[in-house]
Amino acid sequence: MPKILLIEDNEMNMDMLSRRLERKGYCVVTAHDGEEGHLMAHSESPDIILMDISLPVMDGWEVTRLLKANEATRHIPIIALTAHALVTDRAKAFEVGCDDYDTKPVEFGRLSEKIENLLLVRKSS
Amino acid sequence: MNLKDLSIKRKLMLITMLTSGLAVVLSSAGFLIYDLISFRQSLSQDLMTQAEIIGYNSAAAMAFKDESAATVTLSALQAKDDIVSAVLYTREGKIFTQYVHAKAARRDFPSPPQARGYRFEGSYLEVFRDVTLNGEPVGTLFLQSDMRQWNSRAKRYATIFLSFVLISGFFALIVSSKLQKLISGPILHLEDTMRMVSATKSYEVRATRFYGDEIGRLIDGFNTMLSEIQQRDTALHHANDELQTRTLELEGEIVHRKEMQKELLDAKHAAEDANRAKSAFLANMSHELRTPLNAIIGYSEMLEEETHELGKVESVKDLQKIQKAGKHLLSLINDVLDLSKIEAGRMGLHLETFEISPMIEEMVATLRPALSKNCNTVQVHLAEQLGVMRADITKVRQILFNLLSNACKFTDHGTISVDVNRGSDQGEEWIRFQVTDSGIGINAKQKANLFQEFTQADVSIARKYGGTGLGLAISYRYARLMKGRISVESEPGQGSVFTVHLPAKVTAEITGATPAEKANDVPAASPGMKSNLDTILVIDDDSTVRDLMSRFLTKLGFHVVAAASGEEGLRLAKQVNPLVVTLDVIMPDCDGWAVLNKLKADPELAEIPVIMVTVVDNESMGFELGASSYMIKPVDRDRLAILIEKHRLTRSSAVMDAQAFAASRRDASPKKDGGRVKRTATRNDRKTAAPIK
Repeated sequence: MPKILLIEDNEMNMDMLSRRLERKGYCVVTAHDGEEGHLMAHSESPDIILMDISLPVMDGWEVTRLLKANEATRHIPIIALTAHALVTDRAKAFEVGCDDYDTKPVEFGRLSEKIENLLLVRKSS
Repeated sequence: MNLKDLSIKRKLMLITMLTSGLAVVLSSAGFLIYDLISFRQSLSQDLMTQAEIIGYNSAAAMAFKDESAATVTLSALQAKDDIVSAVLYTREGKIFTQYVHAKAARRDFPSPPQARGYRFEGSYLEVFRDVTLNGEPVGTLFLQSDMRQWNSRAKRYATIFLSFVLISGFFALIVSSKLQKLISGPILHLEDTMRMVSATKSYEVRATRFYGDEIGRLIDGFNTMLSEIQQRDTALHHANDELQTRTLELEGEIVHRKEMQKELLDAKHAAEDANRAKSAFLANMSHELRTPLNAIIGYSEMLEEETHELGKVESVKDLQKIQKAGKHLLSLINDVLDLSKIEAGRMGLHLETFEISPMIEEMVATLRPALSKNCNTVQVHLAEQLGVMRADITKVRQILFNLLSNACKFTDHGTISVDVNRGSDQGEEWIRFQVTDSGIGINAKQKANLFQEFTQADVSIARKYGGTGLGLAISYRYARLMKGRISVESEPGQGSVFTVHLPAKVTAEITGATPAEKANDVPAASPGMKSNLDTILVIDDDSTVRDLMSRFLTKLGFHVVAAASGEEGLRLAKQVNPLVVTLDVIMPDCDGWAVLNKLKADPELAEIPVIMVTVVDNESMGFELGASSYMIKPVDRDRLAILIEKHRLTRSSAVMDAQAFAASRRDASPKKDGGRVKRTATRNDRKTAAPIK
């Protein structure tokens, strides 16, 4: 069962998204801010991370950069989720090392496709 | 003193004196000389007469050689003081007898007698005369006179002459000193007047005219000149006064204008602030609206899946309605956000080069269900060799999507066609997209407001067909943003033709931004391009901090430029355009807040992220002024490294794609981005009580 780390500070979004992912058969662990997310990425070793960008304590960009700079967590695919569909956010997401990017509100079908794709890529590599 | 430099008064007197003196001297001398000559003449005549008398008296004595008788005769001369001596010569020329005046010195007599007649010998008058008796010469008489009379007369005359000259000179002096005033007086007066005019600069003074002579005319001329000068002076004064008044008025005007300008500028700033606030509000609002919508759509989708599994078909349909309404609401919010971004000039262009035909085909394919919904036929005509275009593909898609969905919406059982071709006009290549429908069409009045936001052709249309009326407005603005245009031809009931012209190569310059925002915004790509991505500017007055920071950052591979004061920091920031500025707050003269303010006020520097590194715990102040991050000393080096690396990545990506950069800055400048992220952070700091240190 693939493990997803969902880093999201909005309770309702977290609840909704985690339940839907669980229904899809994923194991979901959650973090409420960047720092917690960063710690959990190390402790939980998830298969994939869904990263909200506007996070308290440490924002999503910083967490991503730290994780991608660390040998232990570099391999974990990260999908960035931003509230604004801005061209810069997208460019920035890839620059800091995100593997994919989506906008909120998430279109669940599309998001699960992206998750599946990344998991497949990881499995094959 | 030179004679010529004497005053007129003296000159006049001198001339008078000399002239009159000369006249007196000349006339008196003439008279004197004449008198003395004639007196001498009469003296000699006198002496001749004496000689005749004495000769007559002594003739007999001579003839008879009576010496004593002759001596007696001669002695008679004693009565005459002026006759010094007398001699009687014989016919042979020998001295017969002689006489010498008692008071006279004895002297030698001429012998023999000389020519007859009188002569002046030295200071004496001498006479020789023959002594005859009955016509027979018997001897010669000699008389000598000492001219005493003449001398005394000459002396007397000289005295009279001298006193006459002196007296007449004295009178001449008095008269001339009185009369010279006739001439010198007016001239001196004129001179006084002139001196007064030049001393007091008062041109109202006039010289008095005494007589009608040349000087009088000179004074007249002088007065005329004065009055002319006075007139000019008065005119000049008037002009000057007027000029001063005008200058004062102008100064007042300038002050007034400046005030006005300031007011206008304030108003402009207020308007810009308001506009920014509006944009920020809309952006925040849409973000805030999206969050609950996210939940609505997500939960309804989840419920739909669950109920579907449970087989409750009716509930599924209702849940789908909730979803649909939610998604519609989301698209409306997106439209409003887009429009507000365009309005604020913050809508950027993400330019890329793409093939036109696949894009159109793909779009028509996705839209086909909607296109055929009202039983419409779709025709696509693509010109051959359409090739590629460079534009913001998302926006081109959205324009065409809006036009096509409108066509679908307002056409029933009709034909919708899409025509795309390439052409050139005025040396520029254009791509023309044309969407034609056979729908309800629009009338002239509706056409006028067609591309205005929030206006639909008819209120009833909104009710019947739905929509916000923002689609065409956004399309229009997108086309303008890419330097293109949209036009429409339509007749009610005859369908519509929407034509979009877009340049085959769109350039990054933003056309949608209003001048105010342009001025406010960071200028297009260039400064970012010039940025030194490996240079960091450290502004701190503490040399230890500068040293430590430099060492640490150099180790990280950055080039460090350090400034010991705010002013130096600002200057260096302009010079090196660094990746990041680290800024201390407490510094002498120009403190960190002032530096931050100036950095953010300069369009060339505003984009440089500023990390406050200070002991002052006033994070909110820092963010308010536009700082990207805030660190309290002692510096957490790891965090600093992370922050700088973050900025490096952001900015290098910007440099890699200049167009994307230009677009990105308008969407989210580093300042705003940082501000936003950190504001979230601060808000949550309070909640989680886990501040960044």
